Amino acid sequence: MANALELTAVSKRYGQTSALDGVDLTAEQGQTIAVLGPNGAGKSTLLSIALGLLPPTSGTAAILGHPPVEALRKGLVGVLLQESGLLEDVRVDELVTATAGMYQKPMPVERALRAARADGFAAQRIGKLSGGQRQRVRIALALIGDPRLLVLDEPTVGLDVDGRRALWQEVRARTGEGRTAVFATHYLTEADDYADRVILLAKGKVVADGPVEKIKELVGGSEVHVTLDAAEVGVLQALPGVRQVRVEGGAAVLRTNDSDATLRALFATFADARDVRTAGTDLESAFVSLTGGN
Amino acid sequence: MGSYLKLELLRSVRNTTGLIMLTVFPLVLYLLWTKVLRVVPAGPQQVDFAAYTMVSMAVYGAMGGALFIGGAIAMERSKGWLRQLAVTPLPAHGYISAKLIAGATGVLPSILVVLGGGALISGVRLPPGTWPALVVLIWVGVMPFAALGVTFGYTMNGQAANLAMIAVFFGLSVLGGLWLPVQLMPEFMRTLAEYSPAYQAGSLGWRVLAGDWPTVKSLVVLAGWTLLFSGLASWRYRRAL
Ligand SMILES: Nc1ncnc2c1ncn2[C@@H]1O[C@H](COP(=O)(O)OP(=O)(O)OP(=O)(O)O)[C@@H](O)[C@H]1O
Ligand SMILES: [Mg+2]
Repeated sequence: MANALELTAVSKRYGQTSALDGVDLTAEQGQTIAVLGPNGAGKSTLLSIALGLLPPTSGTAAILGHPPVEALRKGLVGVLLQESGLLEDVRVDELVTATAGMYQKPMPVERALRAARADGFAAQRIGKLSGGQRQRVRIALALIGDPRLLVLDEPTVGLDVDGRRALWQEVRARTGEGRTAVFATHYLTEADDYADRVILLAKGKVVADGPVEKIKELVGGSEVHVTLDAAEVGVLQALPGVRQVRVEGGAAVLRTNDSDATLRALFATFADARDVRTAGTDLESAFVSLTGGN
Repeated sequence: MGSYLKLELLRSVRNTTGLIMLTVFPLVLYLLWTKVLRVVPAGPQQVDFAAYTMVSMAVYGAMGGALFIGGAIAMERSKGWLRQLAVTPLPAHGYISAKLIAGATGVLPSILVVLGGGALISGVRLPPGTWPALVVLIWVGVMPFAALGVTFGYTMNGQAANLAMIAVFFGLSVLGGLWLPVQLMPEFMRTLAEYSPAYQAGSLGWRVLAGDWPTVKSLVVLAGWTLLFSGLASWRYRRAL
C-alpha cells in the first residue's frame, strides 16, 4: 500500500532564510498526524510543498504514490489552506455544489455541509458570513471530495466549540476508515487529543517525530507544583533531582528527574510547602523545551 | 469544469452592477444621441446616424464586458480564490476557460440591448440578415479585448487592475471613434484611430450596415491585435501559475 504522504529530504530556501531544511516525512494510511511548531517554523511551507503548491529548493514529495499535483487533479486530497479566499457573491451551497462537481466521487453536498456545521447558513451569500462561518465553508470544501488524504493548515482558527468538535469528529471517523489526516495547529491539546503522531518543527527542522507519549518522554521527568510563602529559585534549584525551576508569584513548578527525592527534600526544607501536586510532562512543556522557546 | 462554468454563468447573470454599466449605460447614451440631442439634421442622414451609433454603442458595451473579465480575475486572484482552486481537481485552464466562456456569454446582453434599442426606439431598419450578422461581427470583434483583460488580470492586483482597465476602456473607445465618429477627428488622430483595435472592431459592424464585407486591412489589423493580446495574456497567465 502506498504511503499517504512521503517527503524526502525536502528543503526550501528564501534567499538567506531556510524555511525547511532536509525534512523527511512518511505518513502511512490511516494515521492522524499533527504538525506543530512556533510561528515561522515551516509548517505551512511543509504542507504547501507536500501538495505541490510550492516548488521545493531540493527534495521530493509524493501523495499516495503520485506526484502531488496529479493526486490533487485525481481528487485524492482534500485541503484547507491557511490563507485562501472564497467567492463572495455566491451562496454557500452553490459554491460547495460547484466544487463537488469537480470530483469523481464527491460526498453528498448536504453531508459535507453538516459535517462542517455549515448547514445552518447554506443559503446565505458568502460575502455576508462571519469569520468562523467562512472557516466552516472552507472545511466543507476540504471534505466535499470525500478524499483519502486530508491536509488541514490550522483548521480550527476562529471556530467555536461546536465547530471544533464537529471537525474532529469527522476527522476521527475518516481516519477510523483507514483514511489519513495531516494537520498543522497551535492548539497543543488538539494534537494531544486527536493525533496519533506528532511532528515537531523548529526553524525548518524536524526536532521530534512520534506518538504524543513519546514526545513527552523525550523531555522526560515530571513536574512538581507547590505553593510557598517565599520561593527562592536558588534553593529550589538545589533540591535533589530538580532540573528546572519556574516561579510564578507564590507558586513554583519544578521539573525533576526524581519526584520522590525532590518531594522529600521539599518538605524537609520548606515547612510551609502546601498544595503540592505532581504531574507528568504535558505536551506544552515538551513543545517549549524541544523547540527551544522559553 | 462543467460545474464551475455553471457557477460562473450564474454569477454573470447575477452581476447587476456590471449588467447596468455595460448594457443600460450604452443604451442610455445611445438614446441620448439619437433621440434627445440633435447631432445631425432630420432626414435620411439621421437614420444613417442612428444605425452607425447603434453599432458604436453596442461595440462599446461589449468591449467593456470583454475587458472586465480580467478585472474579475484580478479580484479573485488577490482575494486568494485561485489558491483555493489550486487544491481542487479543476486544472488551471479550467478556471480561465470558464471565465472566458461565461464572460463571452455575458457580453451578449450589451449587444442585444443596444441593437434592440436601435430597432424598437430609434427606428433603425435593416435587411433581416444584417441583424444576426451584426451580433456575430460585434461579438467576434470584441474578443481581442477579452485577451487584453486577461493580461491585466494576471499582471495587476485587484483594484489596480480595474482602474487601469477603466482608463484603457475609455481611451480605446474614444480613440476608436465609438463615442464620436473618427470623421470628426484631426488627420493624425484619424490615422492612429484606424490602426486601433476598437475602431476595427467597430468597422466590421459599420461596413455591414452598408452591406459591405470587412476590408482586408480591418481583418489584418484586428488579427494583429488579437495575436498580440493573446500572446501577452498567455504569457502573463503562465507566469502566474
Ligand atoms: N514567500 C515567502 N518569502 C520569503 N520568506 C517566506 C515566504 N513564505 C514563508 N517564508 C518564511 O519561511 C518560514 C516558514 O514560514 P511558514 O509559513 O511555513 O511558517 P509556519 O510554521 O506555517 O508559521 P505560522 O505558524 O505563522 O503559520 C518563515 O520564516 C517565513 O518568514
Ligand atoms: Mg502557517
